[in-house]
Amino acid sequence: MGIIYNSLSPQGITLRGSWNARVNQDSLVVPYSYQEDDPPAISLEDARMRFQSEGTIFLDARFPEDYKSGHIKGAINFPWEEFEEYSSQVLSKLPFDKEIITYCDGTECETSLLLARELRDMGYENVKTFFGGWSEWQKAGFPIEAEN
Amino acid sequence: MKIFKFLITVLTDKRVVLIFRLVLGITFVYASLDKIAHPDQFAKIVYNYKILPSFLINIFAVTLPWVELLAGLFLILGIFTESASLLISLLLVIFLFAISVNVLRGVDLNCGCFSTDPAGKKEGISLLFKDFLFLFMGLMVFFFNKGFATISSLYRKKSS
Repeated sequence: MGIIYNSLSPQGITLRGSWNARVNQDSLVVPYSYQEDDPPAISLEDARMRFQSEGTIFLDARFPEDYKSGHIKGAINFPWEEFEEYSSQVLSKLPFDKEIITYCDGTECETSLLLARELRDMGYENVKTFFGGWSEWQKAGFPIEAEN
Repeated sequence: MKIFKFLITVLTDKRVVLIFRLVLGITFVYASLDKIAHPDQFAKIVYNYKILPSFLINIFAVTLPWVELLAGLFLILGIFTESASLLISLLLVIFLFAISVNVLRGVDLNCGCFSTDPAGKKEGISLLFKDFLFLFMGLMVFFFNKGFATISSLYRKKSS
């Protein structure tokens, strides 16, 4: 019944969708919804190099409780789901000329991409997304911190 | 001990089981409607659970809401009540598994239980609690439904 309705409905979808995370033109694994005109994706190594340079701000797009339990050292929490509540507080710390890197859990989440798109639309020109996110960073043993 | 006996008497009372049946039925019908209207959004939510292989995601997103709708309607009307309550209980066990896996993974997840809105509320643990509650209701209906206020029992009475 569902399949018949789906085939007749204008909202219907193909029965075999394309859902795999894919590899972009820079050979990075990105979410299926990532488009080539989105803010650039960066690798773990790239993220680490930028972490060491002073001009880069990391934005953690996960929930505050996830952020508190552990995040990339120095990252600012900007939960995508609570964008409105956090925007005035976080945006005051984001100069337009700084490089901004967004991340969330890993390639299975998209909030880092959504946040990066929003910031780009607000006029931040130097926004990038680290899709490996918290899981890759933590696994690599790079600097992290937590809040009690 | 007396309290325990009293609880069992209350929870297995046919009128209480009828309330469980109607609550569960209405919940499942309501839960199915937005998914049927927005299969694309629901498919994205299914994708985000990262449990099904990609070739099954769309088929699941297209068929599951109809299973929920029909099982919910059957429960409300009291047709194939045992089968519908068993099916809903099985679905709830699957949902519990899927949600638990993602809570353990620490993944930000919109459950897609009642709405396909991408900005939907993320509930985690409280969602597990609700699912357990619904599962309890489903099992009570399966084991203690006595054909009270069901179309099936009315039909049987007329036939005899």
